[in-house]
Amino acid sequence: MLALPRAHVGQMIGLLEVLEDFKGRVDVAKVADDLILELDDLLPAVDAAELLSFIKVDSGDLILTETGREFLSQDPKVRKKLLNKYVSNLESFKKIMNFIRNQENCEVSKEELLDSLKGEVADFDAESDFSWIIEWGRDSLLLKYDSDDDKIRA
Amino acid sequence: MASLVDIQNVSHAFGKSRSDLILDKLSLSINENEFVGVVGPSGCGKSTLLRIIIGLTKPTDGAVYYRGERVEDICKGMSMVFQTFALFPWLTVFENIELGLQGKSFSKSEKRARVLKIIEFMGLSGFEEAYPRELARGMKQRVGLARGLIPDPELILMDEPFSSLDALTATHLREEVLDLWLDPSVAPEAVIMVTHNVEEAVYMADRIVIITSRPGKIAKELEVTLPRPRDPRSNELYKIVDEITGLIA
Repeated sequence: MLALPRAHVGQMIGLLEVLEDFKGRVDVAKVADDLILELDDLLPAVDAAELLSFIKVDSGDLILTETGREFLSQDPKVRKKLLNKYVSNLESFKKIMNFIRNQENCEVSKEELLDSLKGEVADFDAESDFSWIIEWGRDSLLLKYDSDDDKIRA
Repeated sequence: MASLVDIQNVSHAFGKSRSDLILDKLSLSINENEFVGVVGPSGCGKSTLLRIIIGLTKPTDGAVYYRGERVEDICKGMSMVFQTFALFPWLTVFENIELGLQGKSFSKSEKRARVLKIIEFMGLSGFEEAYPRELARGMKQRVGLARGLIPDPELILMDEPFSSLDALTATHLREEVLDLWLDPSVAPEAVIMVTHNVEEAVYMADRIVIITSRPGKIAKELEVTLPRPRDPRSNELYKIVDEITGLIA
Protein backbone atom coordinates (compact mmCIF):
# COMPACT_ATOMS: atom_id res chain seq x y z
CA MET A 1 0.00 0.00 0.00
CA LEU A 2 1.16 3.53 -0.74
CA ALA A 3 2.25 5.22 2.50
CA LEU A 4 -0.07 8.23 2.37
CA PRO A 5 -1.82 10.24 5.05
CA ARG A 6 -5.40 8.97 4.82
CA ALA A 7 -7.18 11.48 7.06
CA HIS A 8 -8.12 15.06 6.28
CA VAL A 9 -5.49 17.66 7.10
CA GLY A 10 -7.91 19.38 9.49
CA GLN A 11 -8.54 16.10 11.32
CA MET A 12 -4.84 15.53 11.82
CA ILE A 13 -4.31 19.05 13.14
CA GLY A 14 -7.37 18.61 15.37
CA LEU A 15 -5.76 15.52 16.84
CA LEU A 16 -2.50 17.40 17.50
CA GLU A 17 -4.47 20.14 19.25
CA VAL A 18 -6.23 17.60 21.46
CA LEU A 19 -2.86 16.05 22.31
CA GLU A 20 -1.53 19.45 23.25
CA ASP A 21 -4.55 19.94 25.56
CA PHE A 22 -3.54 16.68 27.24
CA LYS A 23 -0.02 18.06 27.80
CA GLY A 24 1.47 16.11 24.91
CA ARG A 25 0.84 12.55 26.04
CA VAL A 26 -2.40 10.60 26.36
CA ASP A 27 -3.86 7.15 25.88
CA VAL A 28 -5.47 6.79 22.46
CA ALA A 29 -8.62 5.30 24.01
CA LYS A 30 -8.96 8.36 26.22
CA VAL A 31 -8.84 10.64 23.17
CA ALA A 32 -11.57 8.57 21.47
CA ASP A 33 -13.61 8.73 24.65
CA ASP A 34 -13.09 12.47 25.04
CA LEU A 35 -14.20 13.17 21.47
CA ILE A 36 -16.98 10.56 21.57
CA LEU A 37 -15.39 8.85 18.58
CA GLU A 38 -14.95 5.19 17.74
CA LEU A 39 -11.30 4.20 17.86
CA ASP A 40 -11.57 3.18 14.20
CA ASP A 41 -12.58 6.72 13.27
CA LEU A 42 -9.62 8.16 15.13
CA LEU A 43 -6.92 5.88 13.73
CA PRO A 44 -6.57 7.44 10.25
CA ALA A 45 -5.66 10.77 11.89
CA VAL A 46 -3.26 8.97 14.25
CA ASP A 47 -1.60 7.21 11.31
CA ALA A 48 -1.32 10.46 9.33
CA ALA A 49 0.25 12.32 12.26
CA GLU A 50 2.66 9.46 12.87
CA LEU A 51 3.61 9.22 9.19
CA LEU A 52 4.56 12.91 9.24
CA SER A 53 6.49 12.47 12.54
CA PHE A 54 4.19 14.84 14.44
CA ILE A 55 3.43 12.14 16.99
CA LYS A 56 4.92 8.90 18.28
CA VAL A 57 2.84 5.95 19.37
CA ASP A 58 4.09 4.05 22.40
CA SER A 59 2.09 1.16 23.93
CA GLY A 60 -1.27 2.81 23.34
CA ASP A 61 -0.11 6.32 24.22
CA LEU A 62 0.03 9.13 21.69
CA ILE A 63 3.00 11.41 22.24
CA LEU A 64 3.35 14.80 20.59
CA THR A 65 6.89 15.10 19.17
CA GLU A 66 9.03 18.25 19.08
CA THR A 67 8.28 18.42 15.34
CA GLY A 68 4.57 18.27 16.12
CA ARG A 69 4.84 20.99 18.76
CA GLU A 70 6.79 23.24 16.45
CA PHE A 71 4.19 22.71 13.69
CA LEU A 72 1.32 23.54 16.06
CA SER A 73 2.97 26.70 17.33
CA GLN A 74 2.93 28.27 13.86
CA ASP A 75 0.20 30.21 12.06
CA PRO A 76 -1.63 28.57 9.13
CA LYS A 77 0.70 30.14 6.56
CA VAL A 78 3.87 28.76 8.14
CA ARG A 79 2.15 25.43 8.78
CA LYS A 80 1.63 25.09 5.05
CA LYS A 81 5.34 25.66 4.47
CA LEU A 82 6.19 23.02 7.06
CA LEU A 83 3.65 20.61 5.56
CA ASN A 84 5.26 21.20 2.20
CA LYS A 85 8.59 20.10 3.63
CA TYR A 86 7.29 17.03 5.47
CA VAL A 87 4.90 15.81 2.77
CA SER A 88 7.52 16.17 0.04
CA ASN A 89 9.84 13.96 2.12
CA LEU A 90 7.36 11.07 2.13
CA GLU A 91 8.48 8.25 -0.17
CA SER A 92 5.05 8.20 -1.81
CA PHE A 93 5.16 11.90 -2.65
CA LYS A 94 8.78 11.71 -3.81
CA LYS A 95 7.67 9.11 -6.33
CA ILE A 96 4.65 11.14 -7.40
CA MET A 97 6.55 14.44 -7.71
CA ASN A 98 9.36 12.77 -9.62
CA PHE A 99 6.92 11.29 -12.07
CA ILE A 100 5.17 14.60 -12.66
CA ARG A 101 8.37 16.64 -12.96
CA ASN A 102 9.65 14.29 -15.62
CA GLN A 103 6.66 14.96 -17.88
CA GLU A 104 6.36 17.67 -20.47
CA ASN A 105 5.36 20.99 -18.81
CA CYS A 106 5.42 19.20 -15.45
CA GLU A 107 1.81 18.14 -15.87
CA VAL A 108 -0.04 14.83 -16.03
CA SER A 109 -3.62 13.65 -16.24
CA LYS A 110 -5.28 11.71 -13.45
CA GLU A 111 -5.11 8.55 -15.54
CA GLU A 112 -1.41 8.95 -16.28
CA LEU A 113 -0.62 9.41 -12.60
CA LEU A 114 -2.75 6.47 -11.53
CA ASP A 115 -1.19 4.24 -14.21
CA SER A 116 2.30 5.10 -13.04
CA LEU A 117 1.42 4.23 -9.45
CA LYS A 118 -0.48 1.05 -10.30
CA GLY A 119 2.66 -0.43 -11.78
CA GLU A 120 4.70 0.24 -8.65
CA VAL A 121 2.36 -0.31 -5.75
CA ALA A 122 0.56 -3.48 -4.78
CA ASP A 123 -2.93 -3.15 -3.31
CA PHE A 124 -3.53 0.23 -4.86
CA ASP A 125 -6.97 1.78 -4.35
CA ALA A 126 -6.97 4.22 -7.24
CA GLU A 127 -9.95 6.48 -6.45
CA SER A 128 -9.38 6.77 -2.74
CA ASP A 129 -5.61 7.17 -3.01
CA PHE A 130 -6.01 9.75 -5.73
CA SER A 131 -8.21 11.94 -3.57
CA TRP A 132 -5.75 11.74 -0.65
CA ILE A 133 -2.84 12.59 -2.98
CA ILE A 134 -4.73 15.60 -4.30
CA GLU A 135 -5.90 16.80 -0.89
CA TRP A 136 -2.47 16.63 0.74
CA GLY A 137 -0.71 17.77 -2.42
CA ARG A 138 -2.95 20.82 -2.62
CA ASP A 139 -2.83 21.63 1.06
CA SER A 140 0.96 21.48 1.17
CA LEU A 141 1.19 23.47 -2.07
CA LEU A 142 3.11 20.67 -3.81
CA LEU A 143 0.46 20.03 -6.43
CA LYS A 144 -2.16 21.92 -8.35
CA TYR A 145 -5.13 20.06 -9.74
CA ASP A 146 -7.75 21.41 -12.07
CA SER A 147 -10.60 18.92 -12.39
CA ASP A 148 -11.98 20.83 -15.40
CA ASP A 149 -9.03 20.02 -17.64
CA ASP A 150 -7.99 17.04 -15.51
CA LYS A 151 -4.41 18.22 -15.18
CA ILE A 152 -2.19 17.74 -12.16
CA ARG A 153 0.71 20.17 -12.09
CA ALA A 154 3.82 20.15 -9.96
CA MET B 1 -22.23 52.40 25.37
CA ALA B 2 -24.25 52.21 22.18
CA SER B 3 -24.85 48.65 21.08
CA LEU B 4 -24.17 47.31 17.62
CA VAL B 5 -27.47 45.48 17.31
CA ASP B 6 -30.68 45.88 19.29
CA ILE B 7 -33.35 43.24 19.06
CA GLN B 8 -36.51 44.73 20.49
CA ASN B 9 -39.54 42.68 21.47
CA VAL B 10 -39.22 40.35 18.51
CA SER B 11 -41.99 37.78 18.16
CA HIS B 12 -42.35 35.39 15.30
CA ALA B 13 -45.09 32.96 14.40
CA PHE B 14 -45.69 30.73 11.41
CA GLY B 15 -49.47 30.78 11.63
CA LYS B 16 -51.88 33.16 13.32
CA SER B 17 -52.48 31.41 16.62
CA ARG B 18 -50.31 31.63 19.69
CA SER B 19 -49.48 27.92 19.50
CA ASP B 20 -47.53 28.66 16.31
CA LEU B 21 -45.37 31.18 18.14
CA ILE B 22 -41.66 30.43 17.63
CA LEU B 23 -40.16 33.50 19.29
CA ASP B 24 -41.98 35.38 22.02
CA LYS B 25 -41.13 39.04 22.73
CA LEU B 26 -37.42 38.49 22.64
CA SER B 27 -35.12 41.43 23.39
CA LEU B 28 -31.37 41.32 23.21
CA SER B 29 -28.49 43.74 22.62
CA ILE B 30 -25.20 42.86 20.99
CA ASN B 31 -22.23 45.06 21.86
CA GLU B 32 -18.98 45.66 20.03
CA ASN B 33 -16.12 43.30 20.83
CA GLU B 34 -18.53 40.64 21.94
CA PHE B 35 -18.68 36.97 20.99
CA VAL B 36 -22.20 35.92 21.89
CA GLY B 37 -23.25 32.28 22.04
CA VAL B 38 -26.94 31.47 21.70
CA VAL B 39 -27.86 28.05 23.05
CA GLY B 40 -31.12 26.20 23.41
CA PRO B 41 -32.84 22.97 22.49
CA SER B 42 -33.55 22.25 18.85
CA GLY B 43 -36.71 23.91 17.66
CA CYS B 44 -36.37 26.88 20.01
CA GLY B 45 -36.12 29.31 17.13
CA LYS B 46 -32.36 29.99 17.32
CA SER B 47 -31.90 29.85 13.55
CA THR B 48 -35.04 31.92 12.95
CA LEU B 49 -33.61 34.54 15.30
CA LEU B 50 -30.42 34.79 13.20
CA ARG B 51 -32.46 35.10 10.01
CA ILE B 52 -34.49 37.90 11.58
CA ILE B 53 -31.36 39.74 12.78
CA ILE B 54 -29.76 39.80 9.33
CA GLY B 55 -33.05 40.68 7.65
CA LEU B 56 -33.68 37.46 5.73
CA THR B 57 -36.93 36.91 7.65
CA LYS B 58 -39.32 39.67 8.71
CA PRO B 59 -40.48 39.21 12.31
CA THR B 60 -44.23 39.00 12.97
CA ASP B 61 -43.80 41.67 15.63
CA GLY B 62 -41.02 43.82 17.01
CA ALA B 63 -37.89 45.08 15.25
CA VAL B 64 -34.13 44.78 14.91
CA TYR B 65 -31.93 47.87 14.90
CA TYR B 66 -28.41 47.91 13.50
CA ARG B 67 -26.46 50.95 14.69
CA GLY B 68 -29.76 52.61 15.46
CA GLU B 69 -31.31 51.95 12.05
CA ARG B 70 -34.18 49.55 11.63
CA VAL B 71 -33.28 46.42 9.64
CA GLU B 72 -35.82 46.17 6.82
CA ASP B 73 -33.85 44.25 4.21
CA ILE B 74 -30.76 42.05 4.19
CA CYS B 75 -28.32 44.02 6.32
CA LYS B 76 -25.10 44.93 4.49
CA GLY B 77 -23.04 45.11 7.67
CA MET B 78 -23.62 41.46 8.53
CA SER B 79 -22.63 38.07 7.12
CA MET B 80 -24.04 34.64 7.77
CA VAL B 81 -22.18 31.33 8.04
CA PHE B 82 -24.37 28.25 7.65
CA GLN B 83 -24.29 24.78 9.15
CA THR B 84 -24.41 23.17 5.72
CA PHE B 85 -21.96 25.67 4.16
CA ALA B 86 -24.36 26.87 1.40
CA LEU B 87 -21.72 26.79 -1.33
CA PHE B 88 -22.50 26.76 -5.03
CA PRO B 89 -21.40 23.35 -6.35
CA TRP B 90 -20.68 24.64 -9.85
CA LEU B 91 -18.36 27.39 -8.64
CA THR B 92 -14.76 26.95 -7.53
CA VAL B 93 -13.47 27.91 -4.10
CA PHE B 94 -12.21 31.20 -5.54
CA GLU B 95 -15.56 31.97 -7.19
CA ASN B 96 -17.62 31.00 -4.13
CA ILE B 97 -15.59 33.38 -1.98
CA GLU B 98 -15.72 36.13 -4.59
CA LEU B 99 -19.52 36.07 -4.26
CA GLY B 100 -19.05 37.66 -0.86
CA LEU B 101 -17.92 40.81 -2.67
CA GLN B 102 -21.07 41.10 -4.76
CA GLY B 103 -22.28 44.65 -4.89
CA LYS B 104 -18.94 46.09 -3.79
CA SER B 105 -17.43 48.60 -6.16
CA PHE B 106 -13.92 47.18 -6.36
CA SER B 107 -12.07 46.81 -9.63
CA LYS B 108 -11.56 43.29 -10.93
CA SER B 109 -7.92 43.20 -9.87
CA GLU B 110 -8.76 44.62 -6.45
CA LYS B 111 -11.40 41.89 -5.99
CA ARG B 112 -8.91 39.24 -7.02
CA ALA B 113 -6.31 40.52 -4.58
CA ARG B 114 -8.85 40.53 -1.74
CA VAL B 115 -10.04 37.00 -2.51
CA LEU B 116 -6.47 35.69 -2.64
CA LYS B 117 -5.65 37.39 0.64
CA ILE B 118 -8.57 35.80 2.48
CA ILE B 119 -7.82 32.43 0.83
CA GLU B 120 -4.34 32.55 2.26
CA PHE B 121 -5.58 33.71 5.63
CA MET B 122 -8.12 30.88 5.89
CA GLY B 123 -5.55 28.22 4.96
CA LEU B 124 -7.24 27.59 1.62
CA SER B 125 -4.18 28.22 -0.55
CA GLY B 126 -3.78 25.37 -3.02
CA PHE B 127 -7.56 24.89 -3.25
CA GLU B 128 -8.40 27.97 -5.34
CA GLU B 129 -9.52 25.91 -8.35
CA ALA B 130 -11.20 23.13 -6.36
CA TYR B 131 -14.96 22.59 -6.46
CA PRO B 132 -16.90 22.04 -3.23
CA ARG B 133 -17.33 18.32 -4.03
CA GLU B 134 -13.54 17.94 -3.91
CA LEU B 135 -13.31 19.38 -0.41
CA ALA B 136 -13.51 17.81 3.03
CA ARG B 137 -16.31 19.28 5.16
CA GLY B 138 -13.89 21.29 7.26
CA MET B 139 -12.52 22.92 4.12
CA LYS B 140 -16.04 23.67 2.89
CA GLN B 141 -16.75 25.51 6.12
CA ARG B 142 -13.50 27.47 5.69
CA VAL B 143 -14.85 28.59 2.33
CA GLY B 144 -18.12 29.55 4.04
CA LEU B 145 -16.18 31.56 6.62
CA ALA B 146 -14.00 33.20 3.98
CA ARG B 147 -17.07 34.25 2.00
CA GLY B 148 -18.58 35.65 5.19
CA LEU B 149 -15.43 37.55 6.14
CA ILE B 150 -14.51 39.03 2.80
CA PRO B 151 -17.07 41.88 2.73
CA ASP B 152 -15.53 42.99 6.05
CA PRO B 153 -18.77 42.76 8.04
CA GLU B 154 -19.22 44.27 11.49
CA LEU B 155 -21.23 41.28 12.66
CA ILE B 156 -20.89 37.63 11.70
CA LEU B 157 -23.80 35.32 12.42
CA MET B 158 -22.86 31.66 12.62
CA ASP B 159 -25.61 29.06 12.61
CA GLU B 160 -24.29 25.78 14.08
CA PRO B 161 -21.01 26.27 12.18
CA PHE B 162 -19.32 23.14 13.54
CA SER B 163 -22.29 20.79 13.85
CA SER B 164 -21.85 18.97 10.58
CA LEU B 165 -18.12 18.39 11.11
CA ASP B 166 -16.51 15.35 12.70
CA ALA B 167 -15.10 15.84 16.20
CA LEU B 168 -11.45 16.27 15.14
CA THR B 169 -12.19 18.73 12.35
CA ALA B 170 -14.53 20.67 14.62
CA THR B 171 -11.82 20.90 17.29
CA HIS B 172 -9.43 22.36 14.76
CA LEU B 173 -11.84 24.79 13.15
CA ARG B 174 -12.98 26.13 16.54
CA GLU B 175 -9.35 27.03 17.26
CA GLU B 176 -9.03 28.78 13.92
CA VAL B 177 -12.21 30.78 14.48
CA LEU B 178 -10.96 31.83 17.93
CA ASP B 179 -7.60 32.86 16.45
CA LEU B 180 -9.47 34.87 13.88
CA TRP B 181 -11.64 36.47 16.60
CA LEU B 182 -8.51 37.53 18.49
CA ASP B 183 -6.83 38.97 15.37
CA PRO B 184 -7.85 42.63 15.09
CA SER B 185 -6.82 42.81 11.42
CA VAL B 186 -9.71 40.55 10.35
CA ALA B 187 -12.09 40.12 13.28
CA PRO B 188 -15.59 41.59 12.93
CA GLU B 189 -16.91 43.87 15.68
CA ALA B 190 -19.06 41.06 17.02
CA VAL B 191 -20.05 37.44 16.49
CA ILE B 192 -23.31 35.68 17.27
CA MET B 193 -22.97 31.91 17.22
CA VAL B 194 -25.99 29.67 17.51
CA THR B 195 -25.23 26.18 18.77
CA HIS B 196 -26.88 23.28 20.55
CA ASN B 197 -23.44 22.35 21.94
CA VAL B 198 -23.18 24.00 25.35
CA GLU B 199 -19.49 23.13 25.86
CA GLU B 200 -18.66 24.74 22.54
CA ALA B 201 -20.54 27.91 23.52
CA VAL B 202 -18.82 28.17 26.91
CA TYR B 203 -15.44 27.45 25.36
CA MET B 204 -15.80 30.20 22.75
CA ALA B 205 -18.20 32.94 23.87
CA ASP B 206 -17.97 36.02 26.11
CA ARG B 207 -21.69 35.92 26.86
CA ILE B 208 -24.23 33.16 26.55
CA VAL B 209 -27.89 33.64 25.85
CA ILE B 210 -30.04 30.68 26.80
CA ILE B 211 -33.29 30.32 24.92
CA THR B 212 -36.08 28.02 26.00
CA SER B 213 -38.32 26.18 23.62
CA ARG B 214 -41.81 26.79 22.21
CA PRO B 215 -42.07 29.66 22.23
CA GLY B 216 -38.45 30.81 22.25
CA LYS B 217 -37.81 33.14 25.17
CA ILE B 218 -34.60 34.19 26.86
CA ALA B 219 -34.28 32.09 30.00
CA LYS B 220 -31.03 33.64 31.12
CA GLU B 221 -27.96 35.59 30.00
CA LEU B 222 -24.63 34.68 31.45
CA GLU B 223 -21.18 36.27 31.12
CA VAL B 224 -18.29 33.86 30.66
CA THR B 225 -15.31 35.52 32.28
CA LEU B 226 -12.85 32.62 32.03
CA PRO B 227 -9.56 34.01 30.65
CA ARG B 228 -8.46 33.00 27.15
CA PRO B 229 -7.06 30.67 25.95
CA ARG B 230 -9.52 28.48 27.80
CA ASP B 231 -9.01 24.88 28.73
CA PRO B 232 -11.97 22.99 27.22
CA ARG B 233 -11.61 20.30 29.89
CA SER B 234 -11.25 22.47 32.99
CA ASN B 235 -13.55 22.11 36.01
CA GLU B 236 -14.37 25.83 35.86
CA LEU B 237 -15.67 25.40 32.33
CA TYR B 238 -17.65 22.26 33.17
CA LYS B 239 -19.29 24.07 36.07
CA ILE B 240 -20.72 26.68 33.72
CA VAL B 241 -21.72 23.98 31.23
CA ASP B 242 -23.61 22.14 33.97
CA GLU B 243 -25.39 25.29 35.06
CA ILE B 244 -26.56 26.00 31.51
CA THR B 245 -27.49 22.40 30.75
CA GLY B 246 -29.67 22.43 33.87
CA LEU B 247 -31.54 25.46 32.55
CA ILE B 248 -32.17 23.93 29.14
CA ALA B 249 -33.27 20.48 30.27
